[in-house]
Amino acid sequence: MKEQDRSLAARKQYHTSVFAQCFSPCGKFLAAANNHGYIAIFSLTTALSPDGTEALWKPVYSYKASEDGSIFCLASSDIFLISGGNGPICAWKWTDILNKSPKVIWSWGIPKKGPFYQTEVNTIVIDKQETQCRLYAGCGDNNVYVWDLETGEQLVSLSGHDNYIHSVSLKNKGQMCATASEDGTVKIWDMRHPSAAEHTLEPYKNQICARPEFGKWLGCVAMETGDDWLVCGGGPKMSLWHLRSLEATTVFDTPAVCQKTVMFYEDTIISAGSEPYVNHWYINGDQKSRIPCTPTNVFSVVVNTALNSHKVLCTAGNSPKIDVCTNFGYKAFSLTFS
Amino acid sequence: MASKDEPVKTEIKRKRTIRKETTSVTAVGDSKRIKSDVSVKESKSSLFYAEEEEVDNRDPLNDLATFRKTSEEIRTAMADIKKLKEKKGKDCSEEIEEKKINALLQFVVLKKLNRLAHVRCKKVRDATSEAKQRIDQYHLQLQNLLYETMHLEKEITRCLEFKSKDEEIELVSIDKFYQEAPEEISRQEVTQSDSHQRTLARLDWELEQRKRLDMKLKEAKDNKEKLEQEIKTKQEYLENLQPKLNTILQSTKPVQEYLGMPFDQIREQHQTACHLPHPLYVLYMQSSAYKQACDKHLEVRIEGDLQAAKSIKSSVTEIDDDSDSDQEEQDKPSSKRRRKTSDSRVSDRKARALQRHPLAVVMEISCRDGGCLYLKFHYQMSLEIITVETKFQPGPDNVTSSISGGDLLSAESVLNDIYPGDHGNTTPNPANQYELRRLGLRDFAHYIPELGRPFLWAQWLGGLQFLDHDSPLKAQSSISSAHMQQTVKLLRRRIRSRTSLLQQLAALERGSVQVSRDYLPLFPAKIVARLVSWKRSTYEDFSVLPHTRPAITAGLAGESDLYFTAVIERCSAKMTVQVVLTANYPEVVPWFVVNVHWQTDRTALNDCHIQAMEEEVNLHYQELMKEKSHDQILSNQMQRLMMCFDIYLETEAQNMESEGPMEISKEKVFTRVTRGPNRTKPYMFCPEVGIFTHR
Repeated sequence: MKEQDRSLAARKQYHTSVFAQCFSPCGKFLAAANNHGYIAIFSLTTALSPDGTEALWKPVYSYKASEDGSIFCLASSDIFLISGGNGPICAWKWTDILNKSPKVIWSWGIPKKGPFYQTEVNTIVIDKQETQCRLYAGCGDNNVYVWDLETGEQLVSLSGHDNYIHSVSLKNKGQMCATASEDGTVKIWDMRHPSAAEHTLEPYKNQICARPEFGKWLGCVAMETGDDWLVCGGGPKMSLWHLRSLEATTVFDTPAVCQKTVMFYEDTIISAGSEPYVNHWYINGDQKSRIPCTPTNVFSVVVNTALNSHKVLCTAGNSPKIDVCTNFGYKAFSLTFS
Repeated sequence: MASKDEPVKTEIKRKRTIRKETTSVTAVGDSKRIKSDVSVKESKSSLFYAEEEEVDNRDPLNDLATFRKTSEEIRTAMADIKKLKEKKGKDCSEEIEEKKINALLQFVVLKKLNRLAHVRCKKVRDATSEAKQRIDQYHLQLQNLLYETMHLEKEITRCLEFKSKDEEIELVSIDKFYQEAPEEISRQEVTQSDSHQRTLARLDWELEQRKRLDMKLKEAKDNKEKLEQEIKTKQEYLENLQPKLNTILQSTKPVQEYLGMPFDQIREQHQTACHLPHPLYVLYMQSSAYKQACDKHLEVRIEGDLQAAKSIKSSVTEIDDDSDSDQEEQDKPSSKRRRKTSDSRVSDRKARALQRHPLAVVMEISCRDGGCLYLKFHYQMSLEIITVETKFQPGPDNVTSSISGGDLLSAESVLNDIYPGDHGNTTPNPANQYELRRLGLRDFAHYIPELGRPFLWAQWLGGLQFLDHDSPLKAQSSISSAHMQQTVKLLRRRIRSRTSLLQQLAALERGSVQVSRDYLPLFPAKIVARLVSWKRSTYEDFSVLPHTRPAITAGLAGESDLYFTAVIERCSAKMTVQVVLTANYPEVVPWFVVNVHWQTDRTALNDCHIQAMEEEVNLHYQELMKEKSHDQILSNQMQRLMMCFDIYLETEAQNMESEGPMEISKEKVFTRVTRGPNRTKPYMFCPEVGIFTHR
């Protein structure tokens, strides 16, 4: 019989959700953050070594990064690993983390909205341009805040949504920003005139993708960098929108499943949500493949583009296991967050 | 192109030569002036070969002008000559001759200029090479300097990286240092500003302190030795006292008899104790000592046939020999015994292997609420282990009638897992297995109803400790005393938690979740969901459900656990709850697996909010416990689960934009319906303000 460990630690391990993942700038490490406020660092180099065993699929280092509970999002700049969730946005130096002595280099608090309204950070995106490096944070108080990463100065805040922000996507060298919110809309902002949104998409009002039984919230949005395509999903079915005509052109059908993460990758769209599968789609709406994964609820799918030899797709969700696909076609192995 | 060019070029060349000829001819006219010019210049330079100096003095631009002029003159001379030649008839050969000479003289000038140009060129080349050399030199110097800086930088980094040994020494913090260290060491005025001096001072202080501590250690050691010596002398004194006391006791016997004091009874018990096997003796001795010292609600006494014990004591050696060898000679010394057939001998030996000592120690542990636990300790003589028979006598206030938990206080299960993993089903003495097999007996578990359970703690109380491999079986009272208090405490706690659990189960069967007054503030005043049924379940029923698999694979539910199924309803929504209890509840908090049926079937596998609901009770149970009292945890968890169920339904109903009257109305107050990427629900109740928020 299996050793029965019912301590608090075992229970915590059972109830672990990995909300966010991100790769180090060198592409050799994967950082993952969970609902207990821990960040774990996995070494892809050792995990991908040919004699990979269960012992190597554990974090090389993990530390408590948030005293206030869950960490919902991670982002990586050249030097920093930035985390957001309950509590302030914090930045750690990659070098410090890899030396196993992480220190908060700086942290930004989100303005409080009221005594019982804990504002959380649901998504952070780094926009690196030649002149300026900006940090976008989509927050629980319905606003997106933009900071200058160099000076730490808050540049602008995008407000206009009626509910909290789930996802932020950028294109055109950071001049164009799309935000998906719990209120069911995608707002498209011109960052040169950030006072009001330029366009608003309302998939829940659109006949072809609305699903009232799942609500109107939108959990994810992504924009194609080259063409004029935007994809978003959540309560309504995931749909592809043409940015110039602002029309929904394609619907990706996932019966009874809400998509929580989506990305353009090469000429396909990768999405996942409340089912133990990762979907790969063609732009025309045909499903390329459907890859089974361990978590029954997927929160994050990332592809390592920094290092070609470590080009992997990692899937994380409501499970301590993070699935790693080396050729995107099937799960190679799972890293365990412990 | 090239083929086209070539004829053009040759043409130009031809033209040039023609022009040269013509100019040489025409230049003759002007040559006189030039000649004088040249002669002036020549007269200026006294040395013929001083052209090199001359180069320095002359302006090359002037020379260029002279060259142009000269060539122009030659050209005009040539033209003139040509003109003269074309004039036919007239004889102007003389004039031509003169012009020729002039032109030739101009050539001399040109030659001179050419020479000067060559000299100049050479000079410039020299200058260039010299400059080049200098640059090389400078470059070399630069390289040297660069190398030097690099070296210095390397030295600097090496110096910076230098690790002094003092860094490994843990020092007191700076504030504390300034507080504690005397002025002559801390020297504030110097060390405040100079960190090097400060570190030195801190090291000094550390050394000082360590010296002091070392001194203290020495002192303590001396003291200890002294005390040991003292103890030794006192011990000797006490040992000498024993015979004296014996004589006194002897002499006081008549007085005791006369006064009828109870010493007798105690002495009798103690004398009986002398006939106990050694482990039971240790148990008896230690438990009565514990009783006297700490626990008045503990009763210890010896039961059994004293005479039989006495006779056994005399025959112990014989039994030992018998079990060692198979030889029949052993029968001879007892002449009275009939010669037995080998069959009966085997059965006799089997019986003897399972024989227990006629004397037994009975321990009664009475609880505050009137319940009482009887433990009867037997010693298995040949197996060399202690077994326990258990009986629980409930107090007047205890609830014992519960359909789902009727067996919780039964002798078979009440003491399971007092220490983790101690079920009392297998013998703790590894040697027993071989012995039983040798005698053709079945596994020890088979004999438990007859012999009692060999719990590990029972062995410990008897001073027996079995290691994983064979070990000397010498009962040690130190082992017993080390475990006595803890075990009695655990036994008491077990009884208390079981009776409280039974009470809770009985309430749950009636459909009410009892929340004691201490915990009421943790929950809202009104919970709409109702507990409809509470039943006992089994591992088999539990394990066939698909959504229980993760918990089983994670080792959070096992075959030996107790399973219950609860059904909670609100309107048309129905929640089925699987509850896993372990034998050592509430040390291990119950585990819940939830399944909601409302329009669709929802479990943790397809709905993360169900998972979050499970997390509320499975993981955050510490909020439901106050200090030591864990006994109410099951009811509290149930209550919280029902509260979460309400929240789940109310938020879910709000989320769905269904038309018409909503089936579930919003009763609870919450600021936000969803939060975060997984859209969690506000499961957490803030008792101070009575609203629900997110964790």
